[in-house]
Amino acid sequence: MSHRLLVSAAAIPAALGLLLSQTPASGQTAPAAATKAASTTKAWTPPRIPDGHPDLQGYWTNNTITPLERPKGLGEKEFYTEAELTELMKNEQNRVALNEEEGRPTEPGTDADVHYDFSQFGLDRGQTKLSWNRRTSLIVGPEGTIPPMLPEARKRNAAIAARNKGHEFDGPENRPLSARCLVLGQESVPMLPGGYNNNMQIVQGAGYVATLHEMNHSVRIIPTDGRPHAASEIRQWRGDSRGHWEGNTLVVDVSNFDPRNPFRGSGEKLHVVERYTPVDKNTILYRFTVEDPETWDKPWTAEIALSRVDGPIFEFACHEGNYGLRNTLQGARVAEQDEAAKAEAGAAKAEAGAAKAEAGAAKKAGK
Amino acid sequence: MSGIGLLLAAVPAWAHHAFAAEFDASRPLKLHGTVTEWEMINPHSWIHIDVKNDDGTVVSWMVEAGSPNTLLRLGFSKNSLPPGTELVIDGYQAKDKSNRAVGKNITFPDGKRLFLGGSANELKGNDAAKK
Repeated sequence: MSHRLLVSAAAIPAALGLLLSQTPASGQTAPAAATKAASTTKAWTPPRIPDGHPDLQGYWTNNTITPLERPKGLGEKEFYTEAELTELMKNEQNRVALNEEEGRPTEPGTDADVHYDFSQFGLDRGQTKLSWNRRTSLIVGPEGTIPPMLPEARKRNAAIAARNKGHEFDGPENRPLSARCLVLGQESVPMLPGGYNNNMQIVQGAGYVATLHEMNHSVRIIPTDGRPHAASEIRQWRGDSRGHWEGNTLVVDVSNFDPRNPFRGSGEKLHVVERYTPVDKNTILYRFTVEDPETWDKPWTAEIALSRVDGPIFEFACHEGNYGLRNTLQGARVAEQDEAAKAEAGAAKAEAGAAKAEAGAAKKAGK
Repeated sequence: MSGIGLLLAAVPAWAHHAFAAEFDASRPLKLHGTVTEWEMINPHSWIHIDVKNDDGTVVSWMVEAGSPNTLLRLGFSKNSLPPGTELVIDGYQAKDKSNRAVGKNITFPDGKRLFLGGSANELKGNDAAKK
């Protein structure tokens, strides 16, 4: 399917209007008819790089508290009201303040408690710059959720899970890609924020756009010179990106994903179209459409603002300090030894019991 | 309106790995010691501390802590936690029973928490929010 069919061109200005007009500065009076603002939003003319294309370069974050999928209780409500948004911002401010003072609320002795406290290290997502808007979910439209997974996709994913079951700690290859420092959610395609380090840099050159992601210091090179995708047998963790410009929008078509890095249960036919539209000096609207005919019966679209932040992007160097992988596997080996020792002790006890019973029986028979 | 906060509070915090696979929820511990080194590395920093036992012997521990990138951005550096700093660490021991732990909560002896992100007093929004 052509990527041009995935996203309606008409949807973009409307989305921009909503995003920009429905995000009031705290303390200001909200515009009375925010939803009508699409027609009144002034078109932003971005600066150009020497080849004439819009200049998207700089450091950006997609940090947000808006969930990908709409919480169930909200039904088809796609946008909060201005008052609700203000309330949400206040709630978030209070939550962060409370966490900084008292720590992350978890129940001692539970798995959730086995973690360092994000807020102590400035890693709570509310402690860094957040992109606010009135959306109730990043996924657009009345449903606001990922379409139901097709039965064959559920079956495929269940088979993968069944194969891994009981072998999660066999060796490094069995650990998740993130625990192996190979690829993390923040740097994947489509880009979604995680708990922290949601920063990226965009660099442009003639015929190329490149993105550098703080988590986990990876570069994605996007040719914009019209070349076709790599051959379909060439698979990459984050797919194969090809870009082109539609007006001020950088459109990136991504295919050839390695199915070992699935996105929300996707398979080999995952196809993503990203649209990067500069909407003001400090904001790029990032909108993506995902399709995979072997996983969902229809494409789905989400959008999130990229907000300008200060650089630089700090090094991540994940492998060098990845003691966690070693500790996890070593812990599993120790647990196995403990289990084996316990089983051996149990067997010895059973054997001693049997011998005793045998001796008792012999004694009884001898009488 | 409080329902909205509850709905959004369920946003997951992605981390590099599952901590419960590395550390044991049934082995909580409290360490009181002095910093000998802070490995300010990714994906997680590690604080090395010497803990003195009642009999005077010293045991070295390594404690897993936060990723340094945000701290660098906030102006912290390796020198912000110099050797000799006294710390109290509540956490959980590694599943391999070695002297490694995750630092759930790290405080100075007076109870003050180690670091603060420092943004609670200022709501940081994107410029689009000012339109």
